[in-house]
Amino acid sequence: MAGIVVQEVEKTFGKVKALDRVSLEVGDGEFVVLLGPSGCGKTTLLRVVAGLEETDRGRVIIAERDVTRLPPRQRGIAMVFQNYAVFPHMTVFENVAFGLRMQRVPEPEITRRVQRMAELVHIGELLDRFPAQLSGGQRQRVAMARALAVEPDVLLMDEPLSNLDALLRLEMRAELKKLLSELETTTIYVTHDQVEALSLADRIAVMEAGRIVQVGTPMQIYHEPANTFVGRFIGSPPMNFLLVRLTPPGPDGVRQAEDTGLAAPAGFASDEILLGIRPEDLEVVQTGPGTAAGGGESPETGPRLAGCRVSVVEPLGSHQLVTVEWKGQPLKVTAPVDMHLAPGDTVGLAPKTARVRWMDPVSGNAVGGAAGNAVA
Amino acid sequence: MKTRWWGWAAAAAISLWVLLPLYLITVSAFSTQEAVYGWPKTAAPQPVSLETLRFFFSVQGVWHGIRNSLLAAVATVVLSALLGTPAGYALARWAFRGQTAYRMLILLTRAFPLVILSIPLAQQFIRLGIYDTVLAVALVHTALALPFSVLISASIFHGIPRELEEAAWTLGCSRLQAFVKVVAPLALPGLAAAAVFAFVTSWNEVFAASILTLRERTLTAYLLSVLGEAPLPFRFAGGFFLMVPAVVFLFFIRRYLFSLWGVVSR
Repeated sequence: MAGIVVQEVEKTFGKVKALDRVSLEVGDGEFVVLLGPSGCGKTTLLRVVAGLEETDRGRVIIAERDVTRLPPRQRGIAMVFQNYAVFPHMTVFENVAFGLRMQRVPEPEITRRVQRMAELVHIGELLDRFPAQLSGGQRQRVAMARALAVEPDVLLMDEPLSNLDALLRLEMRAELKKLLSELETTTIYVTHDQVEALSLADRIAVMEAGRIVQVGTPMQIYHEPANTFVGRFIGSPPMNFLLVRLTPPGPDGVRQAEDTGLAAPAGFASDEILLGIRPEDLEVVQTGPGTAAGGGESPETGPRLAGCRVSVVEPLGSHQLVTVEWKGQPLKVTAPVDMHLAPGDTVGLAPKTARVRWMDPVSGNAVGGAAGNAVA
Repeated sequence: MKTRWWGWAAAAAISLWVLLPLYLITVSAFSTQEAVYGWPKTAAPQPVSLETLRFFFSVQGVWHGIRNSLLAAVATVVLSALLGTPAGYALARWAFRGQTAYRMLILLTRAFPLVILSIPLAQQFIRLGIYDTVLAVALVHTALALPFSVLISASIFHGIPRELEEAAWTLGCSRLQAFVKVVAPLALPGLAAAAVFAFVTSWNEVFAASILTLRERTLTAYLLSVLGEAPLPFRFAGGFFLMVPAVVFLFFIRRYLFSLWGVVSR
């Protein structure tokens, strides 16, 4: 049981700055996911915590011990690699027992713990087999059992599910979540798959170009992204960002986002702002005779983006994904299955006010951000 | 399919060029002494006889030569493994400056003509007091085998994923322990092939062995020295005995040589 503290870690490979003053805290028993696109530094950060990479600067602290200069075997960690790294010349049993044998645990105890771990990950009948005789999913579980058998303070996982086929990945994700919440091991998990991150994490650290861009719970990351990068990276389809002009202050001193019926966030100086809203937070309102032709707030209906022209309708089974154009800007909306929509239709979109996320068009950062987000 | 025909013909010709003499030697080695002198030659020895071989082994100096050849070959294997394997590991695991130059240089040592080196070498060995010893021969043979030992073991270690070692490190191994428990067992077949290559290089080497020895001759050097006066059966028997280890070992390790050259064989 242990917390992890990463302090101002820097790592450069040749000319590339893989980690740029990265700091992170992981609580005891917490499951933190490092999420980001390829090359963002998430695997490098994981390897730094593991001790497989040395830092140019900064410290790593595990269970209140400074382990920065210690080799992996002295850090109390165990790691599951992307390609599993299961030893091909040993049986499953010997693989899982490997760490325990290195610790000189007595044989009867080894047998007991290996059996127990194998049962937990459902490879109990495979103990006498060699890795070459196993499927990818089975090998992945051997790697898991091997790491968990030593009962590490910290478990590190480097995209362990990415080499599995889609169906198996789904199953393993659920199994993994159940298993790790039972064991309560402090875990850092690296992935580029945002669905995995949202489903597994207690907290997510989103990384881009060697920096941690936002840390928060899955819901915080999803509904309150710190910048446009996070908004677009999380969620499928990504968050919409519309460039909107701001009106001069009205009699109440409040500026409006033009043609939306939404009040601009207080204290924002510039004349243009980005309106961030997720496809599922926009309600499609089919215009017919009698509804407001222009956009804006009408007393009955609330904020509205009017005059949206439907360009593509994708039926996805449980809902429809509709691409519309508003003032020349494309955005995506979800609509219920039974709504009749066709390209060329004109509709209105009603945004859920609470879900709107304003961003600065120049910096890409959120304006008037909610509390509880750490932005690096 | 004209090219195919040519290809097959060329392959057949080359194979015959190599195999026919081997075959003739084998036949004669297992024939009676008279049959060796006889003409025309029969396709198989008639009768099969160990007479020729027995005669060969009875000649003074043959067993001594075999002993020295064995000693030199084993020493070559041990030395080239001890020196070559760590070098191969370093080449495979670390990217260091001058790596490519190093690989090139290693191979270039083989390009250097032994003829030119041999006299200065003999002088040095005399000065060091190890002239006319099996050790001297073993040292030169090690130098000959080392480039391949280094490069073969480098390619073997290259083929063993770094992640396996890293996994071992996270499970409690030091670098050395990880090497012994994880890398070495996986590398062993390939390293065995490299060892056999070193053995055969040493066993068949004749030039350096001849120059550097007088009384402690290896079998090759000895046979070369008496070749002029030796009777025909003796020559055939000697030839057979010299070629046997090479053929046998190569037969066993050809699978590893293939995988080194990128051919998959079942």
